[in-house]
Amino acid sequence: MSNKVMTYKAMKRREMLTAYAFILPTLIGFLIFIVGPMLASFAISLFDWNLLTAPKYIGLANYQQLFADQRIGTVYATTFRLAFIIICCNMSLGLGLAVLLDRKMPTLLRNVFKVTYFFPYVVSGVAIAIIWTFLYNRDLGPLNYYLGFLGIDRIPWLNSSTYSPWAIVIADVWKNVGFYVLVFLGGMQAISRELYEAAEVDGASSWHQFRHITLPLLSPTILFLSITSVIGALQIFEQPQILTNGGPGDATRTIVLYIYEHGFRFFDMGYASTIAISLFIIILTLTAIQFRLSRRWVFYQ
Amino acid sequence: MSTQATTHLQSVTVQTQHKPFPITTILTIIVLCFGAVLMVAPFMWIIQAAFGETTEVFKLPPRWLPVNPSLENFEDVFNQVPYHLFLGNSLKLAVIVTIGQLITCSMAAFAFARLQFPGRNLLFMLLISALMIPGQVTIVPLFILVRQLGLYNTHAALILPALVNPFGVFLLRQYFVTLPTELEDAARVDGANVFTIYFRIILPLSGPVLTTLAILTFVGMWNQYFFPLIMINSPDLQVITVGLTLLRGQYGVGALGPIAAALTMAIVPVMIVFVFLQKYIIRSIVSTGLKT
Repeated sequence: MSNKVMTYKAMKRREMLTAYAFILPTLIGFLIFIVGPMLASFAISLFDWNLLTAPKYIGLANYQQLFADQRIGTVYATTFRLAFIIICCNMSLGLGLAVLLDRKMPTLLRNVFKVTYFFPYVVSGVAIAIIWTFLYNRDLGPLNYYLGFLGIDRIPWLNSSTYSPWAIVIADVWKNVGFYVLVFLGGMQAISRELYEAAEVDGASSWHQFRHITLPLLSPTILFLSITSVIGALQIFEQPQILTNGGPGDATRTIVLYIYEHGFRFFDMGYASTIAISLFIIILTLTAIQFRLSRRWVFYQ
Repeated sequence: MSTQATTHLQSVTVQTQHKPFPITTILTIIVLCFGAVLMVAPFMWIIQAAFGETTEVFKLPPRWLPVNPSLENFEDVFNQVPYHLFLGNSLKLAVIVTIGQLITCSMAAFAFARLQFPGRNLLFMLLISALMIPGQVTIVPLFILVRQLGLYNTHAALILPALVNPFGVFLLRQYFVTLPTELEDAARVDGANVFTIYFRIILPLSGPVLTTLAILTFVGMWNQYFFPLIMINSPDLQVITVGLTLLRGQYGVGALGPIAAALTMAIVPVMIVFVFLQKYIIRSIVSTGLKT
């Protein structure tokens, strides 16, 4: 029975075919839904296409429009400014709260804090944004009511180009800071306590311990958070769309809102793709720069 | 190790020995409590508004507990929009995609971790490089593709693309390669085929990482907004996130009560699940750094 006693070669061949069968679902989906659209977005950016009439080849006209577009400069500036402030707030507040949580306290209490701070992170951004539209209500919202006790006049959070970016920052930080707290806390708890004991013996103050032990040993965590948050913050969409819909004017219009507007309100598929490609290139560049710079400041234990 | 540090500290500073909670600890706890109140208060305010009477909400000073609890607002929600369908659709999509991803990702990860085949490393690298592509960048071609396939305004438009998850393959593959080969070798000697090894040996040993992937996928699908906003048109097929914005569109910004009721129905189930599974959820999200 030669088919029962398989040769080594036949077994290897069979294993190979089985392996391809195992990756087939992922591979097909990968080609159709990731590789295909990625390549197609470059192709679509060369066309004028509104989905109703046949696509018309226009060469690099969409790219010329991109560089001539007055609004896109504003939109990118808004996106970068929002992303920068959001990342700074999340990082510093997250680190500060993590330092506090890392102090000696009953474990139950620490767990209650962890759960409380983290919970908004698992709630959908849409629900959070809608809650904040009510909190931000100028005349009847609780936020202005309590700020009134501090002598602060009612703030038009969502209708002023001065305050609306901050409304988005506050809502975003409130939702996401718990994630940063827990990632930082995880990093801190991985640092050996013996290092602190030794520093204690040498008479190092708690600031010195933080500056010379905690921060350097947290640097891989900081790099990880900064890379993922740059990618995430540049794509911020839900909060501005729901809180202000980009307004007033273009004061809170982020780049993904702008892509959405051109693609799915004006049905200008070519130009929407072109903007998307510009965002893709910017994200890749910033990620590469962060990795390059990280060699100078990231310290691996 | 922390007890060592503490005893050491106490032997150096004798004064603190009698006080279990020094003043700095108490200050720390007060600051953290203040922060915790800020995190909880908005949810409490929304939940009290949900149970208030439709006409009675949005009062100053803000209320934290409902005065005359009523279910009026909840009835109102169901009169305005098919909210039960939104909830059902979200649940259906999250369950299908979670199960689907566990199957597709674990199969691919198993092949990449445990089997030999030409092009294995190249394919894996290609798959991983897709992690660099932000999801919203390919939305235009994806929308066109979905239309061409006749899937616009169907749940398949949300399910099929979600079944490929390069990150999930990566996560599982990294775990599978660490599993010892002895069991697998023994099974092979006994004549077990590749599928048996995958199903009877690798999967049962991978509970924790499969749970992680399941939680990440479920939370991600439950909260997704951008894709359904673009791919789904009929209210009856809509998911809860877009449903919330539809409801808000019906009422305008002034109507706190019914929207609070809808928000409560969206958030409280998540809260209950979170309380029971918080250990696993926190571990899954924090260890992988998922951005939902």
